[in-house]
Amino acid sequence: MARAVRDLKMTQQSHEDLILRAWTPFLLRTILIVAAIILVAGLILMANYSPGFYVSRFQAVRSGHFHARDPMGVTFSKALWGDPHSVMTVGLLVLTLVPLARVAFCFVLFIMERDYIYVAFTAYVLTGLIAGVLLGRIG
Amino acid sequence: MLEILGSLFALAIGAGFVGSLSGLGGGVFIVPALVVFAKMPMQVAVGASLISVVATSAGASVAFVRDGWTNLKVAMVLECATVTGAVTGAYLAGVVPTVVLEVLFALMMLQSAYSTINKMGDSILTQGDPLAERLQLGGEIRDDVTGQMTHYGVRNLPGGAVLMVIAGLMSGLLGIGSGALKVIAMDQVMHIPLKVSSATSNFMIGVTAGAGALVFLARGDVSTAIAAPVALGVTAGALAGSRVLPHANVNALRMVFFAILLLIAAEMGWRALSGI
Repeated sequence: MARAVRDLKMTQQSHEDLILRAWTPFLLRTILIVAAIILVAGLILMANYSPGFYVSRFQAVRSGHFHARDPMGVTFSKALWGDPHSVMTVGLLVLTLVPLARVAFCFVLFIMERDYIYVAFTAYVLTGLIAGVLLGRIG
Repeated sequence: MLEILGSLFALAIGAGFVGSLSGLGGGVFIVPALVVFAKMPMQVAVGASLISVVATSAGASVAFVRDGWTNLKVAMVLECATVTGAVTGAYLAGVVPTVVLEVLFALMMLQSAYSTINKMGDSILTQGDPLAERLQLGGEIRDDVTGQMTHYGVRNLPGGAVLMVIAGLMSGLLGIGSGALKVIAMDQVMHIPLKVSSATSNFMIGVTAGAGALVFLARGDVSTAIAAPVALGVTAGALAGSRVLPHANVNALRMVFFAILLLIAAEMGWRALSGI
C-alpha cells in the first residue's frame, strides 16, 4: 500500500514536472519575444523619426529630469499611434509581467494537478507580490 | 543616437552574460556602470537594474528550465521566504539606517567570498532530509565526469529559508537583487549543486525584481530611454550565458562567483561610505 502511494506520488511529480518543464520555457519565451519585438519597434521608430529627441532625452535623464510621464492609459493610446517613447514603455511593461505570469501559471497548474501544498506556496507568493505592487511597497 | 545605443547594448550584453552564469542577475554591473561611467543618477540606475534583472532571469530561464538545471519546486518554496522578506523590507525602509545594512551586507559578501573560494568542486548529497523529501525537492544533475544523471538531495530547508528572508529584506531595504545570497543559501546551506543553485537563483530573482519594476514603472521611476536598450542587451547576454553554463567548469564558476562577491562588497562599502 505504502509503495503504491509512493509510486502514485512519483507519477504525479513526474507528470507535473514534465508539464512545468515544457510549458514554463514556452511561456517565458513567448512573452520575451513579444516584449523584444515591441522594444525593437520603439527603438526603430525613435531612430527613424526622432533621433535628436532620444539624445536630448538621454541628456535630460543624465541631469535628473525623467519624471515627465503619462498615465498608463495615455501611454497605451499614444503607443497605438506609434509614439516611440510610449511603444518602448509598453515593451518594458510586458517584460516586467513575465515573472508574475510564470507564478500565476504554476498556481493554475498545481490547482489542476491537485497538488495542494504547492497551490498554497504559489498562492502565498502571488498574494505577496500583488499586495506589494498595489501598495507600491515592493522593489 | 547610435553611439549611445551601442555603448548601452555592449554594457548590457556583458551584464546579462555574467549575470545569468553566476545566478546574480545583471544589476550588480549595471548600477555601477551607469552611475560611474554613464554619469546617470542613482535612481535611474536602480530602475534600469530592476529591468535588467527581470530580463536576465527570463532570458536565462528559458534554457535552464527546459534542460532541467532549474529546480522549480525549490524555487517555489523559497520564493515564499523571499517575498515575505521583500515586502517587510519595503515597509521597514526609512526606519532602519541603511548605512548599517550596507556595511553588514558588505561584510557578509566578504565572508561568503571566503567560503566560496574554500569550497572547491561540488559534493553532491544523494539523500535529502525528511522535510525536503516530503516536499519532493530533490532533483537530477548530469555528472561532469561520467555524463550519467545523478540524483541530488536537498538539506536544511529552514536554514535556507532564513537566508532567503534576509535576501528579500535586503532587496526591500536596499533595492538590490540579492542573487548572491540566494546562491549562497542553496549552495552552502542547502547543499544543492552549484550549477543548479545558480540556475534556480536566476529563476527566482525575476519574481521580486518584476514586482519591483512594475512599481517603479507605475511611479515613472524608470527611464525608458535607458532601460529599453539595456533590457534588449541583457536578454541577449542572458540567452548566451545560459548556453555556456551547462559546459562550464564548477571551479571556474566558483572563481567568477568569488570575484563578483568581492565586487558587490566593494560596491556596498562604497555606497555606505559615500552615503548614497
